Amino acid sequence: MEQPLQKRSTGRLMIIGFLSPTILLLLFMVAYPIISLVYYSFHNFSAMRPADGMTWAGLGNYEYLLTDRGIWQRFVFTGKFVFLCVTMQMILGIFVGYQLQKTFKGRDFLFTALMLPMMLSPVVAGFLWRYMLNAEWGVVNYLLTGIGLPKVEWLSQATPALWAAAVVDTWMWTPFIALLATAAFRGIPETIYEAAEVDGASPAYVFFRVTLPMSAPVLFIALILRLIDCFKQYDLFVAFTGGGPGSSTETVSFAVAKTAFSYFYTGEASALAVILLCIIMGLAMILVRHLSKMGER
Amino acid sequence: MKYRSTLMASAAVAGMLCGTAARAETTLTFVWHAGTCADAIMDIAKDYPDKSVKIVPALVPYGPEWHNKIASEFAIQGDAFDFAMWDSQSTAEFAGGGHAVKINDIFDQSSYLKADIFPASSLSQYGEYPDGSGQFYGLPVNQDAYGLMYRKDLFENPEEQAAFKAKYNRDLKVPETYQEAKEVAEFFTRPDQGLYGWGQMGGRDYDFATTASNSFLWSFGGELYNPATMEVEGYLNSPASIDGVQAYVDMFKYGPPGSGNWGFDEVNASFQQGQLAMAMQWFYFNGSNADPKVSTVAGQTGFGILPGAVGRDGLFRRQFSVGGQGMGINKYSKKLPELVKFMEWYFQPEQQTRYAAVCQTGLKAVLESPEWQGLNSYNAQFSTALQYLNDYWHLPEYPVLLDILQEEVSNAISGSKTVEQALTDASARHERTLERAGYKIDRKGGAPEVPDTVISPVGQAEVTPVNQ
Repeated sequence: MEQPLQKRSTGRLMIIGFLSPTILLLLFMVAYPIISLVYYSFHNFSAMRPADGMTWAGLGNYEYLLTDRGIWQRFVFTGKFVFLCVTMQMILGIFVGYQLQKTFKGRDFLFTALMLPMMLSPVVAGFLWRYMLNAEWGVVNYLLTGIGLPKVEWLSQATPALWAAAVVDTWMWTPFIALLATAAFRGIPETIYEAAEVDGASPAYVFFRVTLPMSAPVLFIALILRLIDCFKQYDLFVAFTGGGPGSSTETVSFAVAKTAFSYFYTGEASALAVILLCIIMGLAMILVRHLSKMGER
Repeated sequence: MKYRSTLMASAAVAGMLCGTAARAETTLTFVWHAGTCADAIMDIAKDYPDKSVKIVPALVPYGPEWHNKIASEFAIQGDAFDFAMWDSQSTAEFAGGGHAVKINDIFDQSSYLKADIFPASSLSQYGEYPDGSGQFYGLPVNQDAYGLMYRKDLFENPEEQAAFKAKYNRDLKVPETYQEAKEVAEFFTRPDQGLYGWGQMGGRDYDFATTASNSFLWSFGGELYNPATMEVEGYLNSPASIDGVQAYVDMFKYGPPGSGNWGFDEVNASFQQGQLAMAMQWFYFNGSNADPKVSTVAGQTGFGILPGAVGRDGLFRRQFSVGGQGMGINKYSKKLPELVKFMEWYFQPEQQTRYAAVCQTGLKAVLESPEWQGLNSYNAQFSTALQYLNDYWHLPEYPVLLDILQEEVSNAISGSKTVEQALTDASARHERTLERAGYKIDRKGGAPEVPDTVISPVGQAEVTPVNQ
């Protein structure tokens, strides 16, 4: 039966009334900064030198950035870092999560203890590991030499520094994956495992054909979150390597922050932030679409 | 009813009293990096006679966060701080952006604060912008210079002296040139005993590698650019500049493994543990390095002046980086009269003598007093060191130029580029930065092999010993 016209319009007004504060807040908090960012990216402008004014640059900032070899190096490093971190964290996190879903004595204490690195500030973790990885008196090299291995100059050479940064990020954030994985694994009905056992499925078969597929949506969300987080990693590197040696451990986010708040090239920093935003949004959209398809299945 | 009236009257009086107290109290906030000297200012400020004025610190760790905190506040034209201690090179950036109070106006109005209470060179280094203009935007509140610290027990050991003489055919003494320092560092480098010859900063953070490498570059006769023509190519990558930075990079061979990314903390820690025979370090840290509660070798530590070098033109130069900070005033502060009164009190010899007991003052009266020079084992050297100071670009583009040079010198330290390649790349990037900022580069070409010979020459025919 069709609703009377007056009733429908009152309902629509009510919806608008309820939604408008949130929409206005979102516009103010998200749309306005993004529009400003895009606007600034087409201008040459320094927030430090307001007297110089703002001049139209068109695509100049984008052209400058995309032809700068240094920026591409930062993208390559960020890509390597994201790949290493997300791969290690997913593998380790799923393994740890799988072990923690089992019931055993001391499980709760172990679970809490494993979450501790995640609760540290990345800057604190960066400084902490910087000293632990000191080539001469760091505890890591002390342990290595204890088992007859040579000392490694972790932070003064590019390749070890990349690996060291990935290990530190993995140390911090594997617990996050483990936390979500444990929740996902525990959400799988026990009856499914019982059915698999009755059918004579091996533990490996059960893990790969039952546990992983059934917890895939949650693990996929964890993957997306870690991917985005690793992509915009900045604070860890400030304390850990300062971006060096050279610029070999500078992420794109590091470059954005430096260009914006150290150089005060506000227009150029805005353009770089827009590029970064497009990449992260594009990546997130692909993954979210994949997640939706997964849900439909 | 009576009770209610009494209560209301009491509340009104209490409110008035609170309001009066709130109105009377003025807070003067300053930004600086956390450390001994910021603590010293706070300690001295407690005795400021005007008890209605409170000095409030807003401290950050040393490094980019410190610069960025000041710069961000200026960018929003905010008054979250009233004054700040910033690096000498930042004066150009902050004054050039129109954010700092011109101190000349204060000199004109104050009966005590005058330019002549500070050494002219210090006032110029920490506060003048543009160079040579006579316009000042900062006062030398905390001077600093690179210095040398060394293990006296090693240098004065007769067996070491004999072994050194036998190997190098000269006496073991505190080096006056980097050529001598290299031999001494090589002699004391004994990894099997956990002893290394030389410690220096090379980290990518802030200005660690640049301040250290510049000290070598200038001493070998190199220059960062030609201020007259704004040319960088041919100057920063001149043969003399390459000689200097190469000598700096080579010194890492005589430091502990991995010292290529060290900052001042690591240099201090290593020296304090007795791992280093010599180290290049800021005078700022001498207080803690001479403290037996901090350093295991405090009793055996000698403090001296950093070596110079004999350049490829045969001339001797001793030049090293200026450190420390100037005190600048936030143009957007609404408390300038109160701040000027505080500064007039703070820069009196009495307060500066207290400050100079733990840090390095910029007040001429204290620097020249024999009491201060004899106060510890390094003040007299510091006084001498001031004459060898040099500074890098006093240009608003300083943060960009610094970061580029940091990156390229760091590349040379890690071996991913040769020194020549790193300095050539830095030159090209510096010129690109200057051109983007609107400078016209007058490319005359033909820069001399030793650029110091044409830019404020300091070369001398003889080595002038200062460490005896």
